[in-house]
Amino acid sequence: MKKIHAWSTLPIVLMLALLAIGPVSAAETGNDRCLSCHANKDIIKRGGELLYVDPAMYAVTSHSAIGCNTCHDSVRSTHPDDGLKSSRASCKDCHSTIQSEYAASIHGGKATCNDCHNPHEVKPLIAVSGSDINAKCAKCHNLGKIVKSHDKWLPQADLHIDALPCVTCHTSSQNYVITMSIQKRQSGNTQFGEFKPATHQELAAFNPVNGDVSRLIDKNGDRLISLKELRDFNYEVRKKDMRLWGMMMPEVATHSFQILENRWDCSFCHASGPKAMQKSYMAFPDNSGGYTRMEVESGAILDILYGTPDFYMMGSTRSTALNIVGALIIAGGLMMPIGHGTMRFLTRKNRKEH
Amino acid sequence: MKHTEYVYLTPMPVRIWHWLNAFGIVTLTITGINIRFPDVLNIFGTYKSAIVLHNTAGIVVSISYTLWLLYYMFVAGTLAKLYIPTMNDIKTGIIRQAFFYFFQYFKGGPNPHHGTPDNKFNPMQKAAYLVIMLVLLPLVIISGIILMYVAPLREIIMVIGGIKTLVSIHFLIACCFTAFLFVHIYLATLGHTPLAYFKPMWDGWEKVEHAHGDPHGDAHGSSHDKAPDNDHAVKSAASIGAA
Ligand code: HEC
Ligand code: HEC
Ligand code: HEC
Ligand code: HEC
Ligand code: HEC
Ligand code: HEC
Ligand code: HEM
Repeated sequence: MKKIHAWSTLPIVLMLALLAIGPVSAAETGNDRCLSCHANKDIIKRGGELLYVDPAMYAVTSHSAIGCNTCHDSVRSTHPDDGLKSSRASCKDCHSTIQSEYAASIHGGKATCNDCHNPHEVKPLIAVSGSDINAKCAKCHNLGKIVKSHDKWLPQADLHIDALPCVTCHTSSQNYVITMSIQKRQSGNTQFGEFKPATHQELAAFNPVNGDVSRLIDKNGDRLISLKELRDFNYEVRKKDMRLWGMMMPEVATHSFQILENRWDCSFCHASGPKAMQKSYMAFPDNSGGYTRMEVESGAILDILYGTPDFYMMGSTRSTALNIVGALIIAGGLMMPIGHGTMRFLTRKNRKEH
Repeated sequence: MKHTEYVYLTPMPVRIWHWLNAFGIVTLTITGINIRFPDVLNIFGTYKSAIVLHNTAGIVVSISYTLWLLYYMFVAGTLAKLYIPTMNDIKTGIIRQAFFYFFQYFKGGPNPHHGTPDNKFNPMQKAAYLVIMLVLLPLVIISGIILMYVAPLREIIMVIGGIKTLVSIHFLIACCFTAFLFVHIYLATLGHTPLAYFKPMWDGWEKVEHAHGDPHGDAHGSSHDKAPDNDHAVKSAASIGAA
């Protein structure tokens, strides 16, 4: 599997190498020329939404380094007046491993790459939130219906779909991590409004140090979120109609869409024990609609009150401290039969006469 | 010289409730351990069946608790009398009873308390059952029900302080129940014979032995003199034999 992957990314590597050797500039990739028209919303009137390329979203993609021309190599200088239909590179030219993995999956014939990815706004897994992924699936799979169909066998399906992107169950990955994000109540209804991932703008409104939203939590700026920083943030957050929301995400994105037999078995997630679930990240929104992850001190999701008060996975995120308190209570109860029982046995003669 | 009498201590609805509740709580405890420590205990086949069983037992206990409460409050009307300790109980009763359990009992001394249908619990029982039945059980039921509907009840959970707080409350109270169960079953064996207290919980009738000349004979008198509400509340041994 590793071998195939290395081999099939060769074209990408070559291309990037070529790009690196040549004097790469915005002009060279041709982005600017094309964007002068295609990043202008007026173009939507000419031929629909698809003609518009959001420049901010595009700029942060790896695809922007490739340049418009690479994928649309037939566009000529006479464009758009020539009225010719220009070419579009096919994803498999550069992503052949994923293409073959995806084609072999149960979903291969159900949706194309472009149904889930806009080639001008592509993001790697670490830059998306679980709700973003679910929004992708929701284009075709009505979430309400999915909750209903999963409810037949999955206890609290609504809760699961809130806390798991579909791909956590429907693709395979070696490892899973907990990704936390900051959610904000939708404005307008502050009492019972729905929580949505807070945008960069919403967080920037709280005036973080240097305008860096991660500093809202990472107070000391060491790029690592400690339990103390989480606790302080959790405390502040309550007054601001925000919450920390955790989702269990696959560590790598695969396209082996399938119905995995072991996801029927709840203990796939609910019994891995506290160790496996320690790795967690905080995802901060950036101003291009993506996210940047920052590592969180291990153990945060096990912490009862300070880590993620609103995220709990039965069977795997239990707190050891609490278990000890519980055991002490039970041991207290046992003292009665054991202690009193022993005395009772030793003094049994005193009660014989009765 | 001995004279044996039977007192109708525990009415049928209370007995049915009690065993349903006991069975329910034991089921809840075992499935609960399975759910919290699946890697330690996994005896229900799948995790899901443990959850389903836990939820079902939880609903059974909740319903039977509601019926118990309604029965004691409105049908029997004895909830306050039986379960709320009196000033006397608090000032001296509890201490006297504790003194009996932890001292007198070993010396073979008499139990200062004698159950009548109107006053069947000793002061320590009252205090313990009050906490168990009117504080802990309702709390564990409410927290359990919220945990069954986490997504729809998220707002309530936020007010409580997050799902982890809720789970912790539920877990710690469950531990209290387990502790109580050990104490409870053990104390129930402290009758004249180890099974003496189990009998009224099973058929309603408690055997009261009047050994005349016994120093605490007078105390028993009450069940004689005071005619209980129920005509049949006191039977002689003979009439039971005839029945
Ligand atoms: C002068 C403005 C302008 C520039 C510069 C421009 N386009 Fe276009 N483009 C248009 C317009 C207008 C349309 C819609 C044409 C139509 O519907 O007939 C279009 C359509 C397209 C289409 C979809 C229609 C088709 O040809 O299949 C693609 C793809 C496209 N442009 C790519 C590019 C690329 C790549 C560049 C840069 C090399 C570029 N365009 C530069 C104005 C422009
Ligand atoms: C990684 C390859 C890639 C790059 C880079 C790329 N595109 Fe595209 N583009 C595509 C693909 C594939 C489609 C077809 C999408 C679909 O069918 O939904 C497309 C569609 C379009 C369309 C809409 C055509 C239609 O269906 O009407 C426009 C306009 C367009 N691209 C412009 C651009 C511009 C402008 C740039 C640079 C700023 C650019 N593209 C960069 C791959 C790319
Ligand atoms: C000309 C080559 C090329 C084509 C065609 C191409 N890509 Fe890419 N794509 C790349 C490169 C290079 C990267 C960055 C390295 C990587 O992630 O493999 C990338 C990255 C991505 C990413 C991850 C985002 C990121 O920033 O790392 C996604 C998602 C993606 N591509 C989807 C697509 C889809 C969908 C298509 C077809 C519409 C497509 N690509 C077509 C070259 C291409
Ligand atoms: C059913 C939806 C779906 C389809 C179809 C799909 N993808 Fe993806 N893909 C995803 C999701 C979800 C991710 C996770 C990251 C994200 O959301 O961008 C992803 C991530 C990627 C990435 C980035 C991987 C990384 O490690 O970050 C690439 C590259 C990619 N897809 C390429 C493709 C290509 C090529 C195709 C077509 C063969 C395709 N995808 C079809 C849903 C899909
Ligand atoms: C472009 C539309 C489209 C998108 C987007 C899409 N799907 Fe599907 N998917 C389908 C269709 C059509 C089917 C087949 C009908 C059905 O089972 O609902 C399907 C079926 C499935 C099945 C069941 C396959 C089977 O054989 O029973 C799964 C699982 C699935 N999709 C997962 C996902 C996930 C996860 C995502 C998001 C990452 C997603 N889909 C996004 C169209 C889509
Ligand atoms: C907890 C794991 C899990 C999650 C999360 C999950 N699924 Fe599933 N899904 C399954 C399993 C297991 C099946 C097979 C159940 C069956 O065949 O009845 C399934 C079946 C399906 C099917 C085919 C049967 C049907 O219900 O129509 C579709 C489509 C599907 N899932 C889509 C989704 C989408 C979309 C999401 C995200 C909103 C999602 N799933 C989230 C585990 C999951
Ligand atoms: C297997 C478990 C149990 C056994 C064997 C058991 C046994 C008994 C016995 C023998 C009695 C009568 C003695 C007395 O009044 O003290 C009794 C009464 C009582 N038990 Fe239990 N019990 C069990 C579980 C429970 C549980 C789980 C609860 C509460 C959550 C409970 C609550 C009570 C109460 C409130 C009474 C007094 C009932 C009344 O007469 O109103 N028991 N139990």
